Amino acid sequence: MQWITILKKELLEDWRNFKWIWVPLVFIIICIMDPLSTYYLPQILESVGGMPEGAVIEAPKMGPPEAIMLSLQEVSMLGLLVIVAISMAVIAGERKSGVAELVLVKPVSYFTYISAKWAAKLLLVFIAYLIGMLISWYYVNLLFGDLSVAQFTGLFLFYFIWLIFVVSLTIFYNTVVKIPGLVLTLTIVTIMAMSAINQIFSYRMPWFPNSISEHISGMLAEGTIPNELWGASAVTLGLSILLMVASNFILKTKEMAD
Amino acid sequence: MTVIGVEKLTKAFKGKPIVKGLEFQLEKGRCVALLGPNGAGKTTTLRMLSGLLKPTAGTINFSGVQQGEDIRNHIGYLPQYPVFHPWMTGKEFLVYVGQLAHLTKQEAAEKADQLLEKVAIYESRNQRIGKYSGGMKQRLGIAQAMIHSPQLLMLDEPVSSLDPIGRREVLTLMEELKTQTTILFSTHILGDAEEISDDLLLMHQGEILESGSINTLRQKHQSAKFEIALFGDTSTYLEKIKAFSSVQDVYQEKGEVHVVVEDIELARKDILTKVLEEDWPLEKLALSKTTLEDLFMKVVKK
Repeated sequence: MQWITILKKELLEDWRNFKWIWVPLVFIIICIMDPLSTYYLPQILESVGGMPEGAVIEAPKMGPPEAIMLSLQEVSMLGLLVIVAISMAVIAGERKSGVAELVLVKPVSYFTYISAKWAAKLLLVFIAYLIGMLISWYYVNLLFGDLSVAQFTGLFLFYFIWLIFVVSLTIFYNTVVKIPGLVLTLTIVTIMAMSAINQIFSYRMPWFPNSISEHISGMLAEGTIPNELWGASAVTLGLSILLMVASNFILKTKEMAD
Repeated sequence: MTVIGVEKLTKAFKGKPIVKGLEFQLEKGRCVALLGPNGAGKTTTLRMLSGLLKPTAGTINFSGVQQGEDIRNHIGYLPQYPVFHPWMTGKEFLVYVGQLAHLTKQEAAEKADQLLEKVAIYESRNQRIGKYSGGMKQRLGIAQAMIHSPQLLMLDEPVSSLDPIGRREVLTLMEELKTQTTILFSTHILGDAEEISDDLLLMHQGEILESGSINTLRQKHQSAKFEIALFGDTSTYLEKIKAFSSVQDVYQEKGEVHVVVEDIELARKDILTKVLEEDWPLEKLALSKTTLEDLFMKVVKK
């Protein structure tokens, strides 16, 4: 089946250029960085020795939910950048180099081509994010106290919906332009613009994709899944599907050579 | 039987026409050369036939293809500068595109081995393509175009970028492929076209100027021609030669005057008489037949 063929080829490509090694490693660092540095801040300051005699550091006691949210915040910044960077050339690069000229004269549908690549990148992102968050969870349990399996699973899966949207958006721009750097810029600018809109209108649009992490905070605090989280997740998934359909449509209008 | 026919095929980029209303048919089993100088619109034409570009106007008809069926099932295409995934091996790439052309993994692997053997890069099949030479990539390119045994094989300048040995090898390979499928290839070298093709489409500035079998065209454009060289400034004699009633066309090339004539006897008498009468400083007077080369050069220079 063609879809599997392309998926396998993408996975092999990411394996041969070491993405399957470095992306999970980077995610581990991104996820554990903040919880660890927050916990060890007093010791770090002490060993550096920059404190005046008699100064006492009163670090606010942080609960496990706040600690794991630190990881998510880093994922939403650095992690996002990594995800967009590894996906920016997935179609644009093939169009630019000319490989697409060989591949797309074979009888393969554009949607198969796009969606298989989408799935391959999503799998890599999922695994890297999973490993990073599991290790972060381990340290949070060790240093800040227990975070239940249910809480962790809820947080992990709901936030992954946002990451699905990010990958879909990157794939979408891959079909619009064929310069990988431009794909990166457009994706980041779009997400920043969405984030600004979210901050301005958040009280009116509780279902906006960017509000997922806020709602996850709420979920951890209250112990139940707020309706807004379901709503935002549904909207985000819906937008992702729309983006994929639009990608297929746009790629069809493009000429594979110039 | 016709494999493919195009009607009024036109392509414009940003309003500038590159291909202007092409009309031609390709007969099954023929090897057809699309001949023309650089910038004639050959690549654009092939890209439209392969579906990579959408025609601005006109139609392309594949016979034997049902309504709604993907024509890409029936064509193989080699771009002028084929680009592969450098991290794949030659065999991996062939199996990959073979599977994209609806072969099973086993079928694709068997076909890949056959083709690798045929294009003589079997020894390098497990080497990364990034390490292949230009000639090896060209051959891998032909192999990938053949992987699904297409009815029509289209090759864009298959030998232009190769050294003489590689060129010879690819031409020999095409000679062999000719027996299995219909081939349409573009080239700007007449020699290559004359050597392996049955039919010729002569293209210039987006239009087909001449088409037909090589033999027909050769006969059609074979007329007698004198080549005259004179000491001193030859150009002063041009007008005088032109004035002969027996002369059809006169042009200068590499310091020689080429005189296309209708009647050899009559023209020879005219010229020689003039030479003696006016005592022209004659260096050379030779009779030759015009060839496709002359036709091609004439077209290109226009």
